[in-house]
Amino acid sequence: MLPKFDILTDEQINKIHENSMRILKEIGVEFSYDPAIEVLKKHGQRVEGHRVYFDPDFVKEMVAKAPSQFTLHARNPEHNLVCGGEDIIYMPGYGAPFIYEADGVKRDATMEDYDNFVKLAGASKYMHMTGGTVVEPTDVRDEIRHLDMAYSHIVNSDKCFMGSSSGYEYAKDTIEIAALLHGGMDVIREKPALICLINSVTPLKYDDRMLGGLMAYAETGQAMVIASLVMSGSTGPATMAGALSLQNAEVLAGITLAQCINPGTPVVYGSTSAVTDMSTGSLSIGNPENALFTSASAQFARFYGVPCRGGGGLTDSKTVDAQAGYESMMVLFAASTTGVNFVMHTAGILQYYMAMSYEKFMVDDEIAGMILRYLKGFDCESEEKMAFDVINTVGPGGHFLTQKHTRKNFKLEFYRPELSDRQSFDGWSKESLDTNQRAKIKWQEVLASYVPPALDPVVKEKIESFIEKRAKELLNK
Amino acid sequence: MNTIFEEIKDAIVDGDEDLAVELAERVIAEKADPVQAVQLGFIKGIEEVGASWISGEAFLPDVMMAADAMKAGMDVLEEVLAAGEGEGAYEDKGKIVLGTVAGDIHDIGKNIVGALLTSAGFKVYDIGIDQKPEDFVKKADEVGAKILAASSLLTTTMKSQKVLIEYLVEQNIRDQYKVIIGGGPTSAKWGEEIGADGWAETADEAVLLCKKLLG
Repeated sequence: MLPKFDILTDEQINKIHENSMRILKEIGVEFSYDPAIEVLKKHGQRVEGHRVYFDPDFVKEMVAKAPSQFTLHARNPEHNLVCGGEDIIYMPGYGAPFIYEADGVKRDATMEDYDNFVKLAGASKYMHMTGGTVVEPTDVRDEIRHLDMAYSHIVNSDKCFMGSSSGYEYAKDTIEIAALLHGGMDVIREKPALICLINSVTPLKYDDRMLGGLMAYAETGQAMVIASLVMSGSTGPATMAGALSLQNAEVLAGITLAQCINPGTPVVYGSTSAVTDMSTGSLSIGNPENALFTSASAQFARFYGVPCRGGGGLTDSKTVDAQAGYESMMVLFAASTTGVNFVMHTAGILQYYMAMSYEKFMVDDEIAGMILRYLKGFDCESEEKMAFDVINTVGPGGHFLTQKHTRKNFKLEFYRPELSDRQSFDGWSKESLDTNQRAKIKWQEVLASYVPPALDPVVKEKIESFIEKRAKELLNK
Repeated sequence: MNTIFEEIKDAIVDGDEDLAVELAERVIAEKADPVQAVQLGFIKGIEEVGASWISGEAFLPDVMMAADAMKAGMDVLEEVLAAGEGEGAYEDKGKIVLGTVAGDIHDIGKNIVGALLTSAGFKVYDIGIDQKPEDFVKKADEVGAKILAASSLLTTTMKSQKVLIEYLVEQNIRDQYKVIIGGGPTSAKWGEEIGADGWAETADEAVLLCKKLLG
């Protein structure tokens, strides 16, 4: 793996860190959820109403309790993932309510789309896990959506997945399901099998739903991403340093709460901060500022000794065009080369998280493959890799195409694109397909040939009856 | 023409809330014509900012600060205008009650819509975030608003927009209001499904929608 580079100097890190500590101490953070307030009160923090004023030394002490890395367990142990250190984890986009089709049609996402994206992620060589809320399945009642989503990840793939964080009750349901899958609550308490996303409401707030989710995951030792999305210019200052200080304060407040509830519980420092389009007020994510926030967040996570979440194949484009490609590559490349460990939204996102696109998923999958190859860097570990002998054999003016060394090593060293077109003009012009059109053919082929890994029928039956029971209870409430 | 009107216009264009209030107080103290203060000062200023925004020269902070300055200054003048001296002078294009629905605490999108509606000449009553149907209705009845504008940013709170319309139907007052909705996860289709009178994706589309509904 390549060494990850820093974008902030030590002096800049210290200045921003101190600024965040001052925000936590003098301005404070609002927690709407009473049980969370009780926890922080009990730990000696100054509370006025729902606002908590943090002691900086206490924050440092609690953040230090979070592990620098942890293993997330899949039902197939071959897909267990280390989150932290040099490792990077890619997965599909999260939370989009719409599908944008190849021909520009916009429609509501459904459970069928949900299953399809889980399958595409399951089939992908570059998606390490199948993500969570890969779309909002709007045709499923929201009281039971969390159950159907968890089920989809379990039956359509054997990779790790994310669970619901939509309030304490739904979070608990998802954790119960993960426990059934892995052989009991005691098992997953020791070996975390779920990770969820907890978002602050910028500036400086956490709502009931998210805090309930946070508490359920922390209590059972499951992992969570604690993330802040500062929209610089609207929900945060228009200066990069100010916005980063604000984000940092929010994330540290969330991590502190999680560590108060269960010291050592695995957390990931999350950032999706970006800028506001100052003409329309909409979020904009496919830009250099987002790439900078992402890289700075990776560096802050290293500074605090926790894994980092950020970046993705992020774009503001509404279709799979050049803008979608160059923006996504910029943000995913920045995330991957500066040390982000957990990349939600790696594949599929269009228009600032509003939509998923099957074609975009395939494009991002290709980008992910290219970047993973880049991250491997140069291998200088053996005589064979240094290739002196073969250079000697060929000598001046020859060629390497007929050397065994070539035939063996190009497969090991070269990235082989699956979507990009490297043909001649004549070859390409027979069909003249652009990336969008090729991607459409490709995802249909992948889905048609995908066979989900088998699941133990006894376990499957247990999970199905749990879901059936809970669905009845929730719908009859 | 009294130069104070020009100063008011400039204060609005600059988005200077304190100055707008100060000038409005001067209008009263100097017994200048409040009707002209509104028409040649406040309205002219906000229209200028609105036009610059449409042409891409002005940005959201310009429009939103101008709207805030206008609201603050007009609040000062409200009494003299209502006292009859300027009866009928300030005809707003229509009254709109704006809020984020129950369960949702996001307010920036709503604020942007409010500012642009204000800059387009509507009188906007922003009731804030996490608002129940009865809160929308109560405010609308208090001020005589005909449009209820309900915002939601989360897929989990969109249903509160539906609840708002159901409430109006239950109370048998559905035909007294136009209900418009907006927010990230909403769509034209969702608007139709829940029986809203309109949906807009962006703030400027919301302005066009209100003009159509009240036109």
